[in-house]
Amino acid sequence: MSDTWTNRLSEYVDGDLPERDRATLEAHLPTCAECRATLDELRRVVARAQTLDDRSPTADLWPAIARHVGVVSLDARRARRRLSFTVPQLAAAAVVLALLSGASAWLLLRRPDAGPPSQSTTTPTPILTNAGTYEANPRYAAAVANLERVLAQGRGRLDTATVRVIAKNLGIIDRAIRDAQSALAADPANSYLNLHLAQEMRRKLELLRQAAALAGAQT
Amino acid sequence: MELTTPGVATLRRDLDQTARDAETADVALAASGDGRAFERLYQTHVARIYSLARRMTGEDHADDLTQDVFVRAWTKLATFRAEAAFGTWLHRLAVNVILARRTTLGTERGRYDDSEGALDGVSSRPHAPELSLDFEEAIGRLPDGARQVFVLHDIEGYRHEEIADLLGIVPGTSKSQLHHARMALRRHLE
Repeated sequence: MSDTWTNRLSEYVDGDLPERDRATLEAHLPTCAECRATLDELRRVVARAQTLDDRSPTADLWPAIARHVGVVSLDARRARRRLSFTVPQLAAAAVVLALLSGASAWLLLRRPDAGPPSQSTTTPTPILTNAGTYEANPRYAAAVANLERVLAQGRGRLDTATVRVIAKNLGIIDRAIRDAQSALAADPANSYLNLHLAQEMRRKLELLRQAAALAGAQT
Repeated sequence: MELTTPGVATLRRDLDQTARDAETADVALAASGDGRAFERLYQTHVARIYSLARRMTGEDHADDLTQDVFVRAWTKLATFRAEAAFGTWLHRLAVNVILARRTTLGTERGRYDDSEGALDGVSSRPHAPELSLDFEEAIGRLPDGARQVFVLHDIEGYRHEEIADLLGIVPGTSKSQLHHARMALRRHLE
């Protein structure tokens, strides 16, 4: 094809042709069947490109990724005995953990001569970030606010007993967070307290996420 | 939080918003080191990232690149700012990872030929049904430059100025490559 306009047809399709050239081409098109046919094909190519389906890899890539980033892989979890919990059960577990953590923090602070626990007695949790940074993260605040809003909107779809359990347990976690924050204000360098605060904040987010998902799933 | 205050029980369910909220929560959790939250993000986005990698570089390298993208995303989560959607951020990261690898891949495959003549192999194939390529396969047979411009522009929605910036070419070259790619592909419309 040697038409002088052929190489400009894609620009025309994309609306990138300067106004003057566009007018000239539009005057040319009614007189040139070849350009009209090519233009139609180019438009179909563009339309086809926008309807291509994405597809997942044939192999599951997550286990390799999980190994690289140091988290438990799907395969490893599948190999374990599967357990399922209801939201109230998870909430209850969260509360027990919160109470245990809070009690530990209280005991630690109650002893005037007690310093931060040594590394040898602390379970290493390298994946947690510093609690101060975590708390200051606006995405954490935004995520909590969003989930609280979803939960507030969906609470009418939840059983009142479930709502009561969730509210009660969130209250306990909030108290644990406040206690940890107060303790940290007195001892900001205490690594255990930083870790404890981060764990409580993550626990709150996880509980909210599950509760919001439950609220959204009810019909 | 006002869980005990009577709320609006008749609000319509907004699945999209709920999904966005859940993703926002997962991003925050993953940024704090939660592997399960990151796995949920992976499951949501893997098809799009893998398809991008496959179309940009071919089937042989797509698995590797997809893994690289998600490993890189994990290490860079702290730099994600919520001004953009997570999917947009991840996609941009993926394009950068893929393009950073393209020179090596082009050399390995010996097919870094962006001349117009290189398009002939795609555009002049016979039309017999048994020999025809499907559209995806035809994209994969384009020369690297034309294929990358076509994928970024027509499939992924990048503008020529952005593509020129990403590929280190001028916008005019991007337009020209796109046109040649489309001209070649029109023969493979189903």
